[in-house]
Amino acid sequence: MFKTISFLFLTTTLFLSACAPVSTPQVRQPEAPAHTPTSPEPTAALAETPAAAPVSGRLVIYSGRSEALIQPVLDAFRALYPDVEIALKAGSNSEIANALLEEQGNPQADVFLTTEIFTAQKLSESGVLAPYTSPLVDQLPADLRSPDGTWVALTRRARVIMYNTDLVSPDELPASIFDLTDPKWKGQVAAAGSTNGSLQAQIAVMRQLYGEEVTENWLSGLIANQVTFFGGHTDVRKAVAAGEFKLGLVNHYYYHLQLAESSPVGVIYPDQGEGQKGVITNATAAGLIRGGANPRAAQAFLDFLLSPEGQRLFAEQNYEYPVVPGIPVREGVRPLDEVRLAAFNLAEVVKDFDATFDLIEKVGLP
Amino acid sequence: MQVSLRPSAPSFSPRLAFAAGLVGLFVAVPLIYIFVRALGADPADWQRLLQTRLWTLLGNTLRLAAAVTAGTLVLGVGLAFLTERTDLPGRAFFRWALALPLAIPPYIGAIIHLALMRPRGGVLPQALESWLGYAVPLPSPLGFWGAAFVLTLFTYPYVYLLSGAAFRSLHASLEESARTLGRSPLQTFWQVTLPVLRPGLLAGALLVSLDILAEYGTVALLRYETFSSAIFVQLSGRYDRSAAAVLSGVLVTLAMLMLWGEVRAQGQARFTQMEGGWRPAAPVALGRWRLPALMGALAVSAASLFVPLGVLTAWSVQAFADADITAAVFRTGSQGFGNFALNSLWTALLAAVLAVLLSLPVALFARRSPGRFSHFLARLCQVGYAIPGVVIALSLVLLVNRFLPFLYGTPLVVVMAYVLRHMPQAVRASQSALSILSPTLEEAARTLGRTGAQTVLQVTLPLILPGLLAGGALVFLTSLKELPATLLLRPAGFDTLAVRVWMWATDGFYLQAAPAALFLVLISIAPLAFLLRREQMFR
Repeated sequence: MFKTISFLFLTTTLFLSACAPVSTPQVRQPEAPAHTPTSPEPTAALAETPAAAPVSGRLVIYSGRSEALIQPVLDAFRALYPDVEIALKAGSNSEIANALLEEQGNPQADVFLTTEIFTAQKLSESGVLAPYTSPLVDQLPADLRSPDGTWVALTRRARVIMYNTDLVSPDELPASIFDLTDPKWKGQVAAAGSTNGSLQAQIAVMRQLYGEEVTENWLSGLIANQVTFFGGHTDVRKAVAAGEFKLGLVNHYYYHLQLAESSPVGVIYPDQGEGQKGVITNATAAGLIRGGANPRAAQAFLDFLLSPEGQRLFAEQNYEYPVVPGIPVREGVRPLDEVRLAAFNLAEVVKDFDATFDLIEKVGLP
Repeated sequence: MQVSLRPSAPSFSPRLAFAAGLVGLFVAVPLIYIFVRALGADPADWQRLLQTRLWTLLGNTLRLAAAVTAGTLVLGVGLAFLTERTDLPGRAFFRWALALPLAIPPYIGAIIHLALMRPRGGVLPQALESWLGYAVPLPSPLGFWGAAFVLTLFTYPYVYLLSGAAFRSLHASLEESARTLGRSPLQTFWQVTLPVLRPGLLAGALLVSLDILAEYGTVALLRYETFSSAIFVQLSGRYDRSAAAVLSGVLVTLAMLMLWGEVRAQGQARFTQMEGGWRPAAPVALGRWRLPALMGALAVSAASLFVPLGVLTAWSVQAFADADITAAVFRTGSQGFGNFALNSLWTALLAAVLAVLLSLPVALFARRSPGRFSHFLARLCQVGYAIPGVVIALSLVLLVNRFLPFLYGTPLVVVMAYVLRHMPQAVRASQSALSILSPTLEEAARTLGRTGAQTVLQVTLPLILPGLLAGGALVFLTSLKELPATLLLRPAGFDTLAVRVWMWATDGFYLQAAPAALFLVLISIAPLAFLLRREQMFR
């Protein structure tokens, strides 16, 4: 048996080495002497003539967004700039942010894509991000970009409640996120836990909208109501679809992704009634890394993300809300201008994010 | 028949001490990081941390570690007894079937048990419900008991192998004498058999409980929060690496207590015997217990090996039946399946070689100059086991960037993390390989005029090589499975099989993840088979 196994082992190894591309262990050489990429060279991204200036070399992208969602965007970018070689490291938003903080003295990445703005803001404050003002940024509302140009929002998401249509009848649907603490839903609600950026952002916004005490009561209410907290939203949407839970607190596109698998799920945009404060939104963001080796390609990539094509890809592939006005949402997605949106000052929310974590720890959110 | 090997006269070689010290310094890298970061913590931070769910989570971890350790001991010793000392049918088959689950990473096992058993959503509850027409409450793989169950299933082989070897080497005459002297079979077991098994059991239990301390991925999947979760909370959102370091310090302290406890419990007892007079003890006739024992062994090997392998195979077949999924499996972005399989192999292989090489000075030093310092070094090499992979990864990010910036961003940092995390296995293997080497051989070489280095190269190394290979195979096996540190440390665009499985599975693409997972398990079987072949019981 052992002989057979070692033979198999050997042959697979040989086979694999034969079919793997040659350039496996690549030691990354700095491609340009370190300099801050602030020089306002005319970049390739003046939307009309994307491929005018040569953009080439290796572009290292760190992404807190999952690989499956970002890959189509990278493929489209490669089609425009075939000379750019893209290396992607996708992973947990916060873990990558921690790595970026620790590798600050020896930066490896050119671009960072986050799942929410607060990570970008934190990295910006720590000096990890380099300012860059894309010519396309002017179209964005002021609160969707950093005042110092270190980050820019890419897409928006709405915090919605999805439900299992087999288990919940339309007349008993919750209308507000505060209904989730109703004992009627005890043990029937799934949500992402305290390590999830979208939930952290929601709590931060709620502190401003409703005040510390109301938010604290809401969180304690969720815990008392035996809400199950998952590591991420993919688990939440699958559990709701499987009927393991009746309700799930998610970003809106998770509902659409689940619906695309023909699951019995529906969606509620909460807090839409008269006198209610509206649905809470958050945004994904991108920023260039200070000292990144290939700022030209990074800038071209950022411009591409904000271009109509990039924005359309996010809208089509992942049902997200484009930040650039005039780009339509995907069919079936409820447009944000038909929805009552929570009004909050993002800059203010960002400022006391630490207090949000104090609250999370105080109530003991899992 | 009990022969105690005479330790060689203590001799102190400064060069060896220096080399061992350097290795000690290397394995202390995460500890230094934790220390430095924890010192940088604001006193207000400490205050804040005390108000979090620290104690609850610490309690959770200890409960889980206790439950899994107990579970693995019962399962491991019980099954080893069945296959080594009874007339259980199909013993040769069960020896392999019960050891091979080591090739399945616990997180893959957890994903499979979840897919099958999760309440309402799982395959089994749904099939039963559609068949019977009503929902049947089944045991859930979630929560404390679920996590304890799954982790026990995929870690008991450590204890099984260690106690199996001990049962096997146990001299028949020991137990026979006890019986002749009037002890009942049960008394014989408690008073003679168990003490002889003790070193192996303690080593196995220690390995399992240290592993549980650092565990994050599997328990997160199974929705049970342990102390590692507290570390992750500090790292996410707050990006408070100081607070995370303070908390990791707690884990390190726990690990040191456990290691110290093991030393105390092992005591000075040494059980060695001459190969010559060995004959197997007479197998116990199971009688009417034969069938239940057979069913038990079958159930364990089904839950830990055959069902997972079957599910992975079924998923892989489904994946290959779908052209889109097949395309996705074989090409992701700029990378193909062959590329990340090769990455897995060469990083794990390099880590195995390095870990064994680095373990040698430490083991030699501990043997040649037994003393507080050398034993401290040998123990130090084992603390890495209890530190969560993420903390090891962050410590390497910081220290490599400060001192070896040219290495950072290369796969070699991933290899370093493997070596750091799996050093305990290499050190243990090297120590045990050295411990059975008779010192008279080395002394003879010295008497015949060989220098210290020549003796090591010409006499010691060739003799302990099989033991070293075993240590290397173990490091290779665990490095293939390593996930948290790889996720964080890999250069952009560098994936391994474990990383791919994880990325696809967390996005819910189980079919797509299955071929990679199956392949990972299959290539893990090779080093495992090598390890098992060395054991008396598998010959």
